Amino acid sequence: MIPLLEISDLVKAFRGVRAVDGASFAVQAGSITGLIGPNGSGKSTAIDCISGFQRADAGRVHLDGTAIDGLPPQRIARAGLTRTFQDVRVYDTYTVLENLLVVAKPFATTNWADAFLRTQKFRETHGQAEARALDLIDLVGLTRLTHAPALILSYGQKKLLAFAAAMMSNPSIVVLDEPVAGVNPTRVNEVAEIVRAANRGGTTFLIIEHNVDFITSLCDHVIVFDRGRKLTEGPPAEVHRDPLVLDAYLGVEPGHEPHLARAG
Amino acid sequence: MKSGLSGVGAAKVAAVILALAILAVLPLLTSSNYLLGVAVSGLLMTVAAAALNLVYGFAGLLSFAQLGFWGVGAYCSAITVMDAGGSFWAGVLVAAGVNGLLGLAFGYPILRTRTHAFVVATITFALLCNLVARDWISVTRGPLGIPGLPPPRLLGYEIEGSARFFYIVLGYAVLALCFLYVLETSRIGLTLKAIKQNETLAQSQGISPLPYKLAVFTIAAVITGMAGAVFAFHLRVVDPLIFDFYYMQTFLIIVIIGGTGSFWGVVLAGAAMVVLPEALRFSNDLRMVIYGAILVAAMLLMPRGVAGWIEDRRLASLRANLR
Repeated sequence: MIPLLEISDLVKAFRGVRAVDGASFAVQAGSITGLIGPNGSGKSTAIDCISGFQRADAGRVHLDGTAIDGLPPQRIARAGLTRTFQDVRVYDTYTVLENLLVVAKPFATTNWADAFLRTQKFRETHGQAEARALDLIDLVGLTRLTHAPALILSYGQKKLLAFAAAMMSNPSIVVLDEPVAGVNPTRVNEVAEIVRAANRGGTTFLIIEHNVDFITSLCDHVIVFDRGRKLTEGPPAEVHRDPLVLDAYLGVEPGHEPHLARAG
Repeated sequence: MKSGLSGVGAAKVAAVILALAILAVLPLLTSSNYLLGVAVSGLLMTVAAAALNLVYGFAGLLSFAQLGFWGVGAYCSAITVMDAGGSFWAGVLVAAGVNGLLGLAFGYPILRTRTHAFVVATITFALLCNLVARDWISVTRGPLGIPGLPPPRLLGYEIEGSARFFYIVLGYAVLALCFLYVLETSRIGLTLKAIKQNETLAQSQGISPLPYKLAVFTIAAVITGMAGAVFAFHLRVVDPLIFDFYYMQTFLIIVIIGGTGSFWGVVLAGAAMVVLPEALRFSNDLRMVIYGAILVAAMLLMPRGVAGWIEDRRLASLRANLR
């Protein structure tokens, strides 16, 4: 079985610093895969390259067997890979509902003339999109705020809204960039439940997160990044015991330097 | 979604009907060519401002190219009538066509630039238009301009007199504003303001910004160019002064005072910008001083324009209700 998302030999350098340095990994369809690693290990740059916001210097990205590297972000989103941003992004002046109705894919069968003239076809499409949007708003628990402008939402609520917006196009895979960073700890389990529910609906997730408990409880597979490439991978419980991972996070202990060679 | 008209909606409809009725009978109320002339330029500048609002208020593109399109439209209609022997109507259509092509050709490369670079490029475009008008003497007759534009004709009748010309202008203004209203309240308007608020977020949601920006830039060029084309027949002469910054500044003031991104705010401000200087004629010496003071006060009290001020009040009460 081919993986849903396959990254091979991805390279991205900034002025000679190789932020992503030959990274290869895969995300299996239907999984909740974690992507962890120390700060500066290249996780964010890697997903920027995968989602099209930065152009990789080398390497391939395949989504469901089709190459998506080099495509602009909007094409990648329409192909079925959407993402959220670390610095939570929503349209502040729009209501929660409007934030979801902006998403392009549900309206793919209508054109500008349909939208301008409010044709029968457009109104039907709009009705279906609205129904889906209301379902997602319910899923993330923002129903009470459906018609409230996003700027009055709390930080955590905005993250949930951004999550719902990423789900709106019914993507095959969603990349979540730190979904619970800065979220009230008592709410972290709620976010995990929402991700699980969406996953049961058939959506694959790739999650960047520093919250170890969140990753351990939620993910069935974890990829560990260090120095711009995959260090190791496996089930979360095993990965956390891996001495390589401890080294990457905590540094090498004196007299215990088996991995220095990797850096060179 | 909502059944029936809400209170605000009904009030809006009533206000629009009232305004249209007043405008429709205006030539019967006054025989003053001066007042009708003020109304004509007010309507055309409101249309040009509403087109700028589409580009700036909805797509977030601060375009000074509007001044270029306005003047190019005026020259197109004047040249069509005086040199090519076409009618006024053909002149307006030529202005629409030329500005459409110009908007596409100039917009395609320049819309890849952002913020300051975009502003500088559009200013340069307007300055270039002015330069061409001054120096391409074989076509534009240079600084002397093209005088003596004849009154338009309709079905063989000459539309002589300010009153009849006023109705042409009113017809065009209503059509153009209706088009912009339908466009801006559609899903296209929703997408445009999303691109304006956060372009990367919009891209991550499958929206391609460039086609949207190019479409509105071109639409605004066509609408502004047609307004300029009609305006030339109000002035009865076209010379390089049509590229005077006064026009651009008026479009901008109307958009900013009205509230960027608000259709009704801009239309209201357009009306106010016409009425205000005239209403201040009681004091000829201080007229422009008072006008300036009112503009400064408006900007100090309502930095986001009238529509922005109303929106802020609404949000404040919403917040108060929620907490």
